[in-house]
Amino acid sequence: MESFTNACRRQRRQNYWLLLQGIALSLAIFFISVAPPVKAATAPQRVQVTGEIIDTWCYVTEIMGDAQGTAHHLCAVWCAIGGIPVSILGEDGNVYMVLRVENEDTNVANPTIVNIQTHKVTVDGDLYERDGVKYLFVTQVADDQGVVNLNHEDYGIIPFGK
Amino acid sequence: MKKLPIEHWRIRGLVMAIALLSGIPQVEAANEWGIEHEQATELTGRVVDLACELSGNCPDSCGAGKRQLGLLLPDGKLYPVVKGGTNFAGGTEDLIAHCGKSVQVDGLLIQDPLMTLYFVQRVRSEKTGEWEKASKWGQKWLAANPGKDLGKWFRSDERIHKIVEEGGKLGIPGLIYEEE
Repeated sequence: MESFTNACRRQRRQNYWLLLQGIALSLAIFFISVAPPVKAATAPQRVQVTGEIIDTWCYVTEIMGDAQGTAHHLCAVWCAIGGIPVSILGEDGNVYMVLRVENEDTNVANPTIVNIQTHKVTVDGDLYERDGVKYLFVTQVADDQGVVNLNHEDYGIIPFGK
Repeated sequence: MKKLPIEHWRIRGLVMAIALLSGIPQVEAANEWGIEHEQATELTGRVVDLACELSGNCPDSCGAGKRQLGLLLPDGKLYPVVKGGTNFAGGTEDLIAHCGKSVQVDGLLIQDPLMTLYFVQRVRSEKTGEWEKASKWGQKWLAANPGKDLGKWFRSDERIHKIVEEGGKLGIPGLIYEEE
């Protein structure tokens, strides 16, 4: 049978243990409440996108109207050479800003990107979504159909008409 | 200009002071373009290479002008700076000198449901503390093309001439648009 002294010691150990647990829980709650929010690193999503290479600025802002196809090709080349990011207007209606094409390590006025303006392409890549932007790192251009959106007969050449 | 009662100025000053201290973007006097979802907005944030920030592929000096740049705000928001002060040109040249550093910019924040974009119009100079126009792309182009008309740079740029010679204005060799 356990002696009174041993029972007291056991009770004391249990009390210490409970006290330590309480302190640990309090510290955890304190640090969670005061620590700055940590933005979780977003892992990319493997995707395949089919769509037209467009000029990001003109398409999203609509300052040139419906900025796509042959009607807007010349302007899209100007903007790409000027260093404005290029995007893919997906068949799903989303706009994907292209930050890399295959082995190209640059994305400002990169000749590979400039030379496929207005092309309809199917690409495989890594998609990162952050703060309202879909960023696409193209790992492979699986298909390039060239320019197929022939809308210049309807709109002429945008802007300036020539 | 309509004069505001002194109480209004005090309130406005208090709001601006709170905004400054809290890092909330302030509305400033950028040129509005009438773009849907645009808001004239002054931002303070760190200049980052977008590809580096997202994927961890980080060359020196934010890619030395060859990578798209963004602003990383104190609250963790990342905005791509896609447009600068020169017509048909981006904002990389205006921010590249500030790579990795905090910078104060003024321009249009366009929070379109399709994509959020920032159009930088002015940059606060590190040296003088004064606002400078975001026109470095144009200055650089003019230095490389002396005597040419910067206002129509896209008409005389050799790179564009080459692309148009090869693919035509419509992007399809041999296809020509005849204006009616």
